[in-house]
Amino acid sequence: MLRWKYSRQLLFSLLAFLVAIPLLPVDIFRSAGFQQTIAVALLYGALALSYDLLFGYTGLLSFGHALFFASGAYVSVILINRAGWSLWMATLGALVFTIVLALLVGSAALRTTGIAFAMVTLAFGEAGHVIINRNVGGWTNAENGLPLNADRIPSIFVGVANTHYIFWLSIAILVLTYAVVWWVTESPAGRVFAALRDNETRVSVLGLNGSRFKLLSFTVAAALASIIGVGMLIASGSAAPRYAEANTTIALLLMVILGGAISRWGAVLGGVIYSIAQTRLQDLTQSGFLDGLPKLIGGPLEEPVFILGMIFIFIVMFSPGGISGAYYRIRLRYLTNKSKTPPVKA
Amino acid sequence: MDTFLLIGITGIGLGALYFLVACGLSLIYGLMGVLNFAHGAFLSVGAFAGYWFAVKLFPVTSNLSFALSILVGGIAGGLFALLVEQLVIKRLYNRHIDQALVTVGVSLVAAAMLGGWFGHDPLLLPTPTWWYNAIQIGDAFIPVDRLLYIGVSLLMLILFFVILRFTRIGLVIRAGVENRTMVQALGINVKLAFSTVFFLGGLAAGVGGVLIAGYSGGVSPYFSGTWLIYGFIVVVVGGMGSLGGSALAALLIGISRQYVNYYAPGLGDFVVVILLALVLIFRPQGLLGKVAH
Repeated sequence: MLRWKYSRQLLFSLLAFLVAIPLLPVDIFRSAGFQQTIAVALLYGALALSYDLLFGYTGLLSFGHALFFASGAYVSVILINRAGWSLWMATLGALVFTIVLALLVGSAALRTTGIAFAMVTLAFGEAGHVIINRNVGGWTNAENGLPLNADRIPSIFVGVANTHYIFWLSIAILVLTYAVVWWVTESPAGRVFAALRDNETRVSVLGLNGSRFKLLSFTVAAALASIIGVGMLIASGSAAPRYAEANTTIALLLMVILGGAISRWGAVLGGVIYSIAQTRLQDLTQSGFLDGLPKLIGGPLEEPVFILGMIFIFIVMFSPGGISGAYYRIRLRYLTNKSKTPPVKA
Repeated sequence: MDTFLLIGITGIGLGALYFLVACGLSLIYGLMGVLNFAHGAFLSVGAFAGYWFAVKLFPVTSNLSFALSILVGGIAGGLFALLVEQLVIKRLYNRHIDQALVTVGVSLVAAAMLGGWFGHDPLLLPTPTWWYNAIQIGDAFIPVDRLLYIGVSLLMLILFFVILRFTRIGLVIRAGVENRTMVQALGINVKLAFSTVFFLGGLAAGVGGVLIAGYSGGVSPYFSGTWLIYGFIVVVVGGMGSLGGSALAALLIGISRQYVNYYAPGLGDFVVVILLALVLIFRPQGLLGKVAH
């Protein structure tokens, strides 16, 4: 087995450390800005994991995943602000709405496969973005987004002093996502997902209805995305149209490729690293140390997307599997070398 | 009636722009199975090259300079497409998902480079003085630029048609779209056909980029995003690999979008997606496509 025998212990200690962060007597851990950045990064980690269920575990290259993330955020903010629902009821409402939406979009888009599926989901996702951005029916407040009415949600999620509750909420959402994805991918249905990814013809030869399983995977991933959308709504305080952009799904793809689509922890790690890198690179490149370079070289280097895009191209071309793929390759080499050493004679 | 005609011709003009984006996508997909996300970058590179030529190299606003900047945009788009094909696509031969992923990376890097060089604010493309004129057809006053889009698109369609129909490389491309494995099995070198298709697709996208910059009022690094998505929709609706299908679908989508947007403001894009869903449900291979994908 490639799995390290203490990996589960490592995972739980990491989780315990994360939960303890706001309580530790370290200044940076206690600062609201730090907690906010990490909370958003953890939510992106969770979102990347929900996308990995589709892309890495079922082999569905969807470009419309952002639609369900945005629908979670928008439906819940509309239910809270306009209908006066409680946060929990609104989350449930957003979840049900998103599941229905995913069933509709999925059953149309899954009539195509492979590359065509990518194009079709892209089109549906963009339709969602256009509807939000054009303010159809006056529901979405166009490009300004919808700020969450802070009076209507539990007071522990309001105010800078309470950022640690948002931090814990995002950990909870990440754990929930991880648990659901773990449960689904290890279940019999999850085996069928992997089989569909590896050899679809063979699945149908075995007498299974592949498209039903794909729709299941599509819907579960969408449902998770909607809950993460609610989390992002609370963490950022508003639902923004960029949640629905095709660029958001493309960012998810980058995260999953960066961390490695073949493992759950890889996807989460990719999401966290990408999210932090994007905020930190921005600060770094605008700090002025590139000013000495001519514009021909310095200009692109000031764009965080340039560096991330380059890394992405190199990973796809030369190091498939990203971070977790590289880890498993090294571990495999280590284990093979170990088993090759001649046994010591007693 | 005059408004009706105006909207119709505007819709055809819009469709002409969609066609310029979609024709390359369709051929590239049809021949090589590559979902080319970098096509938006071809569009942007063409538009910026046209802008750079019109502002820096040839700063006289005349018909000649404008025509030249369209040409420069097209050639820049084509050369950039060729570069992308040679540098990355070729190395991932037959790994379709990886090819799609790597083109996503290329589009991000290209947009970031253009943003680093030219900034993120829209830059106004200098257009000739007649750009905002209108001519009278019947009772309707039709803006001249719409007719230009239609004319350029027709020229491009004819160029593609002639190359595909009357040259040897065109024959190889058409055969490759039908059955690439068979073409290779017969010992014909399809690599040249791949490069040709990329160059032609980039050429059309680059020309389209300059025209779209004129249509939408400016060039910026991320302005191609929505156009690329419309390009994908046109390709799926028209049938992948079918040039005629792309033209038909581009017209259909351009016209229906304009009419719906006029009579039911804001719903135009929605109708396009409904159309896409209907085509997928009732004719998954697209209007003129041969095989379902």
